[in-house]
Amino acid sequence: MVIFTCQDTFESMMTCIYDAWSARLGHNNIKLQIEPIWSPELFCDYRHVDPDEEKVQKVIRSVRQKISENSYHDIYRAAMSDHPDKLDIIYRYMILGFVCGEKTPRMFGNPAVSALFELDRKVANEAHLFREFVRFSRLKNQVLLSIIEPKCNVLTLLAPNFEDRMPSEHWMIVDKTRMLSVVHPADSDYFLTPVTHEELSYMEASKDRFDPYVGLWKSFFQTIGIEQRKNPRCQRNMLPIWYRKHMPEFQ
Amino acid sequence: MYLSSSLTLEEKLKILSDAAKYDVACTSSGSDRRGEKGSLGNSVAAGICHSFASDGRCISLLKILLSNECIYDCKYCLNRRSNDKVRTTFTPDEICSLTVEFYKRNYIEGLFLSSGVVKTPTYTMELMYRSLYLLRTKYHFRGYIHAKAVPGAAPEIIEQIGYLADRMSVNMELPTRESLHALAPGKSHENILKPIKQIQHGITDYRLSIGKSAQMERSSANRYLSNSIFKDKKEKQDTITGSSGSKALNGPQTPAGTGPSASPAHPAPSSDAGSPSFYFRQNTPSLPAAQNRSFVPAGQSTQMIIGATPENDYQLLQVTQSLYQQFDLKRVFFSAYVPLNEDSALPSLDTAPPLLREHRLYQADWLLRFYGFHAEDLLDPSRPNFNILLDPKCDWALRHLGLFPIEIQTASYEDLLKVPGLGNKSAYRIVQARRTTRLDFPALKKLGVVLKRAQYFITCSGKMLYRTPIEEDFITRQLTSTDQKTTWSLDHPQTYRQLSLFDDLHLSTPAPEDSLKTLSGQL
Repeated sequence: MVIFTCQDTFESMMTCIYDAWSARLGHNNIKLQIEPIWSPELFCDYRHVDPDEEKVQKVIRSVRQKISENSYHDIYRAAMSDHPDKLDIIYRYMILGFVCGEKTPRMFGNPAVSALFELDRKVANEAHLFREFVRFSRLKNQVLLSIIEPKCNVLTLLAPNFEDRMPSEHWMIVDKTRMLSVVHPADSDYFLTPVTHEELSYMEASKDRFDPYVGLWKSFFQTIGIEQRKNPRCQRNMLPIWYRKHMPEFQ
Repeated sequence: MYLSSSLTLEEKLKILSDAAKYDVACTSSGSDRRGEKGSLGNSVAAGICHSFASDGRCISLLKILLSNECIYDCKYCLNRRSNDKVRTTFTPDEICSLTVEFYKRNYIEGLFLSSGVVKTPTYTMELMYRSLYLLRTKYHFRGYIHAKAVPGAAPEIIEQIGYLADRMSVNMELPTRESLHALAPGKSHENILKPIKQIQHGITDYRLSIGKSAQMERSSANRYLSNSIFKDKKEKQDTITGSSGSKALNGPQTPAGTGPSASPAHPAPSSDAGSPSFYFRQNTPSLPAAQNRSFVPAGQSTQMIIGATPENDYQLLQVTQSLYQQFDLKRVFFSAYVPLNEDSALPSLDTAPPLLREHRLYQADWLLRFYGFHAEDLLDPSRPNFNILLDPKCDWALRHLGLFPIEIQTASYEDLLKVPGLGNKSAYRIVQARRTTRLDFPALKKLGVVLKRAQYFITCSGKMLYRTPIEEDFITRQLTSTDQKTTWSLDHPQTYRQLSLFDDLHLSTPAPEDSLKTLSGQL
């Protein structure tokens, strides 16, 4: 068994798929995994793959042409998942997709498709919930700052929504688990950039301190619930507790 | 009553959101609008919830009253004239800055503005108009706005607000004329229906003017349903011309004696059909020209209080259905009556809100709008109330066991929707997946189809999941034993419960935890 490994970025994953495919070892004799690999298997040959822009473009192009544009979006979302086997799932889906073509995403009964569909759904749901539950607070320099700790890598899925929502505001969203942030200067395009620990601790300290609307929001939130209808279970179903970590109304 | 002008913004917000919280609608759906450079906000057709309050209801909009002063004395209302409360009013700038700043922090999707009636309905609506106009022009707000229309206000001002808002709603308050008369002495049924009709015509005119169909869009699944409540509307209209709607709205069981008074309340639609600027006076100075503005693009909704008056579920559901058919409403909301005031005409102060009944009505409302059911399928005069142990669809299926089991491999989309436990998404996935594979029960599970209820009503390639008889008593027992806990906890939200030999001493299997998932608070 040969195992191709790569880092947890979209570019690396696509390159890894390209190399694994072109190695021509037979689909059943190889596996693809995301680094770090905590417990290597015996009798396996591990091959590390580094990202290569040209190969990435080739893979993306074939997915778009041979399967469909929507499938490319599904694959991208699945690649943002935190599932340890996601790369192998994507690979198996592509094998099937290159044979069956356009109708692949509708073949829910097939295990390769339903596995990818599951990942896609999980990431899309989480991204949607963060779209609802991200909370900004105004810093002294008028920047709107938000810190989140998502399980999946949802930043690139969130950013377009907020760009449409607040095109003429300075805002940034920081992913604390991955030390990544998306920064949007007013009236221009957003970009991804890494964050250092010092920057993060500075931002955490200054967040919420000077913002008068945080208090107003909290008191609105407390008054709007009807005491006679209190239903914490329903609330937990709709807004699970782990999402509440950075929401001011639950602090 | 005492009027206070020395309150801080936070105190005002507390008072006026506390007064608004009994309004049900908090949806931000139905309007799709991209953002724009230089402005703030967009609107998403599906709607976005931003938080969930302690009662499990979603917070999507900043739900506030403009003022809690009121000239009316409706018996059920917190803000009735005779209640001794601190009265206050927001200034337009306060409303705008709260909305815009909350919106920027991603707390809300827009504004829900209602108000107590200050001086006169028209004056109140003018105050509302001033705030909304400022919000749309000076603050460049492109997010969602839901505005209440106050019955009795001048049609011009209602129309003007319609050009600023995404959704408007007029509260029906109570389903029948008699109940309204008993509990809201200042309001009349005719006055409530008038603005609903006006807004409906405004929407139709606007939609036709931009080349859309006259009727509001409905869930796309309705296309595949042969007799949904939205389809057979046209044929009915020809034969009825408005009179049947009024019959349903006046309560199906009212004696025929109300006949003569009903006719002036419902002028033939042709009399107000006219140009889009039917009510619009060009020489009104304070109002801007309404050109190029959409008119209530997300449609209108209404709400009814349940449990304060003696109507049964069948009447409520019929009123709901006729509201959808006659007035093309986007949503009808139900609000379980929460006792706030003491009055001989009202249930006593210690009555628990009828949450389970409200839940059943919403389930039925969904069956009307997405599943092709009619009010008459679900209930009839001989059994006018919903089964408390079973959801309306299960209940219907058990009374029509002759139609089941349904074969997953060949059933039409419409038939799949009639199976308890299968919804739009599951049915869609089944229809897609069976083109390429033969579906068996494990495959259904993989698609995300929940078999808890469905297993008694479907076959895969001629086989059922287990050897279960298609027998009413048997299936009822199976379904209720798992659902009991859910329904009980809904009806008794935070009380202690009595010990039960079977539930608490584990003489039977406990119900699975995830049963509450179905009770989502998405209103």
